[in-house]
Amino acid sequence: MTDVTGPEGKRRYPLRWHVMDALEGAAGVLWPRRMAPFTGWLLLAPALLLVAVLVLGMVQIAESSLHTLDRSTFLPSEDYTLENYRTVADSATYLKVIWRSLYGSFLTVVFTLILAFPYSYILVRTNSAFTRKALLVALFLPFFIGQVVRAYGWLIILGNAGLVNDALELIGVERQRLLFSFPTVVFGLVQYMLPFAVLLLAPALTAIPREVETAAGSLGANWARVLWHVVLPMARPGLIGATLVVSTLSLTDFAMPAMLGGGSQDFIANAIYDQFFRTADQGLGSALALLLVAIGSLLVGAIFAAFGAGTLAMGGRE
Amino acid sequence: MTNLKGSVSRRTILRAGAMTGGAAMLGTLPATRLFAQEPEKPSEIIVRAWGGEWVEALKKGVSDPFTEMTGIAVRHDLTEDNEIQPKVWAAVAQNRIPPIHINWDTTTNATKSALRGVTEDLSDLSNLAETTDLAKPVGLEGYPIVNTYGYVYVLAYRPEAFPDGPPTSWKDLLDPKFKGRIALYNDGIGFHFPAQVAGGGSLEGIPDDMGPCWDFVEQMKAQEPLLGEDPDFTAWFQNDEIDAACTISTNALAAKRNGVPIEWTVPVEGCKFDTDGLWIPKGLPENELYWAKQYINFAITAQAQQTWLDGLGLPGVVPGLTPPEGLAGDPSYPTEPEDFEHLIRISSAVQVENESEWFSKFKEIMQG
Amino acid sequence: MTAPLQRAIFWILVGFAVLILSLPMVIVVGASVTSGNIIAFPPEGFSLKWYEKIAQARDLQQAFWRSIQVSLVCVAVSVPVGTLAGIALSRYRLRGAMALQVYLLLPFTVPLIASGIGMMLVFGEWRILGALWPVGVACAVINLPFIIWSVSASAASLDRDLELAAQNCGAGPIATFFHVTLPAVMPGVITGGLLMFVLAMTEFLVSLLLTDARTVTLPVQVYNNIRSIITPDLAAVSTIFVVIALAAVWLLDRLVGLEIFLKSK
Repeated sequence: MTDVTGPEGKRRYPLRWHVMDALEGAAGVLWPRRMAPFTGWLLLAPALLLVAVLVLGMVQIAESSLHTLDRSTFLPSEDYTLENYRTVADSATYLKVIWRSLYGSFLTVVFTLILAFPYSYILVRTNSAFTRKALLVALFLPFFIGQVVRAYGWLIILGNAGLVNDALELIGVERQRLLFSFPTVVFGLVQYMLPFAVLLLAPALTAIPREVETAAGSLGANWARVLWHVVLPMARPGLIGATLVVSTLSLTDFAMPAMLGGGSQDFIANAIYDQFFRTADQGLGSALALLLVAIGSLLVGAIFAAFGAGTLAMGGRE
Repeated sequence: MTNLKGSVSRRTILRAGAMTGGAAMLGTLPATRLFAQEPEKPSEIIVRAWGGEWVEALKKGVSDPFTEMTGIAVRHDLTEDNEIQPKVWAAVAQNRIPPIHINWDTTTNATKSALRGVTEDLSDLSNLAETTDLAKPVGLEGYPIVNTYGYVYVLAYRPEAFPDGPPTSWKDLLDPKFKGRIALYNDGIGFHFPAQVAGGGSLEGIPDDMGPCWDFVEQMKAQEPLLGEDPDFTAWFQNDEIDAACTISTNALAAKRNGVPIEWTVPVEGCKFDTDGLWIPKGLPENELYWAKQYINFAITAQAQQTWLDGLGLPGVVPGLTPPEGLAGDPSYPTEPEDFEHLIRISSAVQVENESEWFSKFKEIMQG
Repeated sequence: MTAPLQRAIFWILVGFAVLILSLPMVIVVGASVTSGNIIAFPPEGFSLKWYEKIAQARDLQQAFWRSIQVSLVCVAVSVPVGTLAGIALSRYRLRGAMALQVYLLLPFTVPLIASGIGMMLVFGEWRILGALWPVGVACAVINLPFIIWSVSASAASLDRDLELAAQNCGAGPIATFFHVTLPAVMPGVITGGLLMFVLAMTEFLVSLLLTDARTVTLPVQVYNNIRSIITPDLAAVSTIFVVIALAAVWLLDRLVGLEIFLKSK
């Protein structure tokens, strides 16, 4: 491995090679071969440290969740207590909000995947460079407009005096309220999550050779069977990845329920916001936040348990 | 938002006015002087303010003249009052210099900060002598906060939807034709007290017997009201989503000035009246604290109040202000004792103690 | 894709997706040229006065440059960190993979409000609050899973034998990394890097808690300016973002080709 170097090599090889050799040499000293089994951890260490910043923050949050708010001084109580968790457990409102978030996140995943799959499929499979570019541009541009402005656009489109109602009236359907309901919030989440899902699905589909589909087709399988038995199973890493991202992000979303829900379709993040910012009860807000983290992590764990941690390209090739 | 042309001419006028105002203020300075000599001026001070026409009004009435007089630039931090609170509290708890010099805040929120002990005492401001009772926070010792004006949570409505004239009672909103066409703040703020009366209760029942309030909120829930914040209300009125809302008159006024068809009224049950104020967080260097105090001292002069509150359309805390055009006698602009008859004012102490309970009860009904 | 029925169903779904992706943007761009004072569609009359207004707003411009700095810090931190992590996750067998994934997904399972408050307290204790770079680091933290996954998705399609072949030919681990592994995951790195940049550019809630009036970033400045009316300058700012995005996409296409998002070299 190091035999390209040598006394006479010094003149013959370009500088870049020497730099590379020096680096290899340094790497060999700093990270000797016997450490090789831990190379994965070495590469992962910076990411673990970066997320640790967040974990440190969560430790602070956990600490404050164990104190109740004293309303005569607006300071947290001195003693430790589980009172905040009890408040959440005893409240029918919070249970309802938690259930709504979970259900909303589930529906968002389903509808987002239904839209994202054909989008990624055509993006990857189309022969037209123009189509591909147009689809990519349509995917990327909405990122540049934040959630709030996009939600505001929907208020105008779906409003009582909005474009959709204008169109409905033209075809003789009476104007109706399309906004401020649970389905509107889910719709808002779906259009927000769609680009993320496509970006995670497309690489997985790219990895499936076109010939595999052709072969299955030539063996007599119709397109639906090819899709179900060949493409979807092979796209599994992408599907799981998209599911994880969409489910966790929509579970913790704040802006869509706030703007498109008309105030009565709160998700947990909205309840947390209220406690932190409106009633100044950081303890209760922290307890809710930790609960949400626990629910989200359990969800992630359940998805891995159901589909195996081997998906998402974990642990090398299967 | 004001158009550019208007603000230029307005500014020119102000410049002239600032000379006299400046002289007046400097004349009062020796009385409040905390140091033998004026302490060193910071290059700027940071004032938290609400965005849109709120900050425009403050800038015109207080910040710009203050800069003219002292040479200290004023930077506005537009973080929401609710959202700056944990930032300031954390800074004080961690012994850091707070992110702002002055907080323009609701009296209720400010009271929480005062109870927590993160506010500086402002009792030594010389111009407090010229102010009305409204400037003094109720139920707190000294002046941890100086109230600067009052405002009313009016019943704003779309005139088209009320062809027979303005609604006279909050109960009018229970008409089935307004189903899904009413908006309230999403914590119910401003609505609890009129609801207590409309539900057949009395104001003495606050906070111990709020049953009538919750009955009325339940009735209102059946109307499927929309819940939101100030910008939502304006957007909803504009896009024909709602016919009526319980909102601060300033926002209704701003919407009206920008062409949204909207009027407002105070129904027989009354409307909530409350105040906003200015306060200074603890932990500032002494010279910056001094100049922050001078800013507040200036904000309660008649000159500053007149311009600032013209922009907001609200009654101030010094006597003798001229009401802005069209607002003299308006129910959202109370000045005389009889104007207050239909307005409900509950002490901040009672409010902060019970607010989160009211809030969660309101949520419980609305999210149900 | 040969079956006409499949083609029809897929294109209908894609058409709907394109519609819901672009419609709000069309509305926002349209509303930005209104001559009225309120965002409306169709706009009342045509005028560029809102662009004039933001062109003169110095605080907006300063906030814009600060946002660029925050985004650059975010990219500088997250791209190397995320690339290494993505490669580690896809190329190495690690114990406790499931716990690892749950840990690395914390940025998504922790609600942004809690992330913001938590990091505000941590940075406050470290006395680095008030500087701009911690905001960039925070943006890198909360969006880290995106880059890890876009890299590991690319890495998954890389043939392990290629790396072995390179090593057989005498390449050391670092040479293998730079000449074989990294080029193979480049599409994932570029997609992820771009995503990190844009998400940091538009991040609101966490930045709100970590900035102050002297370090306020563009989204914070823009949204906080709303009190009673959402004025069309917001639409104008968004439109400028869209134009910048279009220019960036065009440039990227000319330089490396947009195909890079989908295909390894």
